[in-house]
Amino acid sequence: MLILEKLCLGYNKVIYREINARAGKNEIIALVGPNGVGKSTLLKSIAGIQKYHSGTIKILNKDIRSYPPNKLAEQLSFVPSQSPRAKNFSLFDMVSTSCYNRTNWLGKISEQDYDFIYSTLKKVGLDGFAGRDSSKLSDGEFQRAAIARSLVQDSQIILLDEPTAFLDIANKITITRLLKEIAEQENKTIIFSTHDLQHALKICDKIWIMGHSQFFSGEPENLIEKGAFEQMFKDSSLKFDSKLFTYI
Amino acid sequence: MLYLFCTILGAGFHPAQIVKLKRSYYKEYAIIAILLLALVVLNLILGSVIIPVKDIVSTLLGHHTSDFVSDILFSLRIPKLITALMAGAALSICGLQMQTLFKNPLADPYILGISSGAGLGVAFFVMGVSAFGISMPSSLFFSLGIATSAWIGAFAITLLILLVSYRLKDNISLLIFGIMLGSAVSALISLFQYFSSTSALKVFVLWTMGSFTGLNPGQIWVMFFLILTGFALSVYNIKDLNTLLMGEAYAKSLGVNLEKTRRRILVATTLLAGSVTAFCGPIGFIGIAAPHIARLFFRNADHKVLIPATALLGAVIMVFADTAAQLSTPIIPINTVSALIGVPVILAIILKNRFV
Repeated sequence: MLILEKLCLGYNKVIYREINARAGKNEIIALVGPNGVGKSTLLKSIAGIQKYHSGTIKILNKDIRSYPPNKLAEQLSFVPSQSPRAKNFSLFDMVSTSCYNRTNWLGKISEQDYDFIYSTLKKVGLDGFAGRDSSKLSDGEFQRAAIARSLVQDSQIILLDEPTAFLDIANKITITRLLKEIAEQENKTIIFSTHDLQHALKICDKIWIMGHSQFFSGEPENLIEKGAFEQMFKDSSLKFDSKLFTYI
Repeated sequence: MLYLFCTILGAGFHPAQIVKLKRSYYKEYAIIAILLLALVVLNLILGSVIIPVKDIVSTLLGHHTSDFVSDILFSLRIPKLITALMAGAALSICGLQMQTLFKNPLADPYILGISSGAGLGVAFFVMGVSAFGISMPSSLFFSLGIATSAWIGAFAITLLILLVSYRLKDNISLLIFGIMLGSAVSALISLFQYFSSTSALKVFVLWTMGSFTGLNPGQIWVMFFLILTGFALSVYNIKDLNTLLMGEAYAKSLGVNLEKTRRRILVATTLLAGSVTAFCGPIGFIGIAAPHIARLFFRNADHKVLIPATALLGAVIMVFADTAAQLSTPIIPINTVSALIGVPVILAIILKNRFV
């Protein structure tokens, strides 16, 4: 589905080099790494929001640079870490903006999309919220709304930049479960960056590790065996505990 | 009808919910329309000469009343009213788009220095023309020259702000940049004024005070078509403006071509604000105030609702301001009245922190 080959991030100068990774259908992948290593940059580069230095990003065996923006949006959707909230913009209006490539010049929603938006809101547990002011939703609800928005965009791949940051534990678990469910039931590829390694190891099919010096990709067990997690914070005194799935 | 639609849509949704979603704004629009109509009538009646309604009606219907009344109406109040309506709607829509584009509730053509840009263009033209000894303030050449130079000035400043906005992602910095740019441009204008002739200076100073009077039908038509084009472009911008509400990263991930969208908004605002400024002078504060009043009144951030609402409310405010200005003798410059209305609104926004 998605292939990264010798991808070097950055614009004028390389900020991260040689990423080789793959993501398939139904897969949920966690992107982990220290702060400031370039997780957001990687996700934004894949989403076509940001330019990258060199290498290739392929979707369905085609370089993303050969996709026109609207065609790329059919393949990929992106959930920013903190979307700005627009006052008095109803949840329905917020979610319906993602029908952008299917609506006419004025953005009129078709009846089919009406149903789609409602069933999606139901799926993320926001049925009955459609008419509410989206800016007044709680952080957890807003994150689910943003996920609903990318589901309505109806892309094969969904990229999320720290969807669980700023959330309490209950909301963190709700969101990650929801993502897992979406990957399984809707045949989507989900890639999200997170700092919650423990949880990621439990639910994700694959982990992408952006260490300071090296990029690893693989199934959780293999990565633990390879000692990839030790690499992530190798300059610090932290040790990875393979039973607790966390650093001590 | 709505209920029928809900039942057809059916599939377990509560009709009340859909009714709420598909909320129509007939009531709000009707209130504004009635208000506008009342103000329009008042605007025609009131002034240094009060014309009774029955005289207005019979004159408008073509019955002969008195030459005096029809003269005031056709050569003074009606052209002025039409100009005020267009200016109010145009500046307000312009302000709305800039607020969304810059994600800044205080953005408007005046504060960001675009009107000063138009002023600089006009100063160049008026003083340049007078320097060459051509002085025909009412000729078509002169009025088109003012308009063209105002657009060029407005466009140049908007372009500069847009270029800087790529670098300055922070809205407050951009706002400060706009204000500084406006001051710099004003300084340049002062320099021009210092070196210009008395007659040119008078034309220019009168232009800066803002006025809806003195436009001949030809000029009104030119202004009408320019604003119509700007309005059409603004309506076309609605879809992209709505995606911009939720951040540029998201808009870009939807496949919105941000550069094109920015350019389209730029052209629309230049057409709208540039034309109004060209023909009526720099008129401040309406561009900020009207979109906020529309947001408060309609409680909806969707630009499909906001664009017509803002245009109507802008027209209402402008006609109100014009009527108020017209009541005094001698007539107060429109800029004074618009500031008196606009400033409290802006202060209220800051105090209540009612950001977009």
